Amino acid sequence: MKMIRIQVNGAWREGWARPGQTLLSFLRDELDCTEVKQGCGRGDCGSCSVILDGKLVDSCLVLALQAEGCSLLTAAGLGSRESLHPIQQAFLETGALQCGFCTPGMVLAAKALLDEQPRPDEEQIKRGLSGNLCRCTGYKKIIEAVQQASGQGRKS
Amino acid sequence: MQIREHLFPESVEQALALLVKEQGKARLIAGGTDLVVSIHEGKQPFEVLVDTARIPNLDGLELQDGGGRVRLGARVTMAQVERSAELARRATALAEGCAWVGGPQIRNRATLVGNVVSAQPAADAALPLIALDAVLLLRSPNAARELPIEQAYREGGGSTIDPAREMVTAILIRLHDREEASAYTRMMRRKALTLPVLGCAVRLRRAGQAVSEARIVIGPVAAIPLRLKKAEQLLCQGAYDARRVELAAEAAAAASAPRDSVFRGSAAYRKDMVQVMVQRTIQTAWSRLSAGGGGKP
Repeated sequence: MKMIRIQVNGAWREGWARPGQTLLSFLRDELDCTEVKQGCGRGDCGSCSVILDGKLVDSCLVLALQAEGCSLLTAAGLGSRESLHPIQQAFLETGALQCGFCTPGMVLAAKALLDEQPRPDEEQIKRGLSGNLCRCTGYKKIIEAVQQASGQGRKS
Repeated sequence: MQIREHLFPESVEQALALLVKEQGKARLIAGGTDLVVSIHEGKQPFEVLVDTARIPNLDGLELQDGGGRVRLGARVTMAQVERSAELARRATALAEGCAWVGGPQIRNRATLVGNVVSAQPAADAALPLIALDAVLLLRSPNAARELPIEQAYREGGGSTIDPAREMVTAILIRLHDREEASAYTRMMRRKALTLPVLGCAVRLRRAGQAVSEARIVIGPVAAIPLRLKKAEQLLCQGAYDARRVELAAEAAAAASAPRDSVFRGSAAYRKDMVQVMVQRTIQTAWSRLSAGGGGKP
């Protein structure tokens, strides 16, 4: 076991990590960041996505010890209940979630995409979200949410 | 097997010393997108991880030789290659192949070198690297050597690189000049986050109206990525035309022996598709040459 420090949503956090332990398990079990969801556990579904030093990654495929000293963003750091991030606001307004399990990963994938391409077209949105599975929505409203968050909302 | 230790050496020498000390019980880890899955499954035959994260000079894409060649460090990711304008233009098949690997999360972590040492026959980065005649730079405790990428594959499957005492530190590729172009095409069941039914990488060198040198690589139709030498030869025998491409594609199909696969399709179907894929990929690479030159501006 090793004590490691990771900056989570702006605050330095400490916890014990064991060799081979995933960042996902460390975040959920040691730091109580339960907004990071465990889905497939093998890099297929994107539920456990976090933004690690500016890059979108599956936290189930990163080992906790590899994230030592890094800065990390989870969905909880994107906005607060009082002041939602524009992406979260757009997800709410377009109804881009049903069960909500994929949403913490999905909004981070959307953020990583928009940080790189502020006005993506539909294909670019699909590609940017291609590492995140949603089994409820059929993706249509999620794509609309990202369009809206990027200021390309549909005029009704 | 439980992971007992996760170590962060600060030089290649230290990393190699750790591998040797653990006598096969240690593995190098970089992106970890394959390795961490095998740890989850508990089937991995190793218990020590030797992390490359703190070893200097493994990150970059470095132009060498007056810009004629590039050195890709062992930690270079799919995303880095995918985003490089230089590689899109002058190692086109590689940039195209890397863009198909996994989703954004995977491409941000997975490394090119990992794609080569895992030695899968369908690897989207490895097929173009073979077409580009990539050379691997290898270090072992007392030696450094260069290994042409084709020699990194065991005929019956798997890698020839010894994970217990060797490390790939970089990949060298020659970049396209004006007379050269490449392409990678992929057949799949949906357009993202799926393994290929077939992938095909082609590199062509032009001399006037003929192909003077060709590389055609396809997978997965054998235990390792398959280079189609007969098809390459046929393509280089005389002026480029539709008939010659067809002959090469027929030879490609004849040389490949795909297996029946529930996921990828029947052997008969995929053998037919090898012909289609090879034909299209050759045409794409050639069209890039005839559209005003290959790599060089």
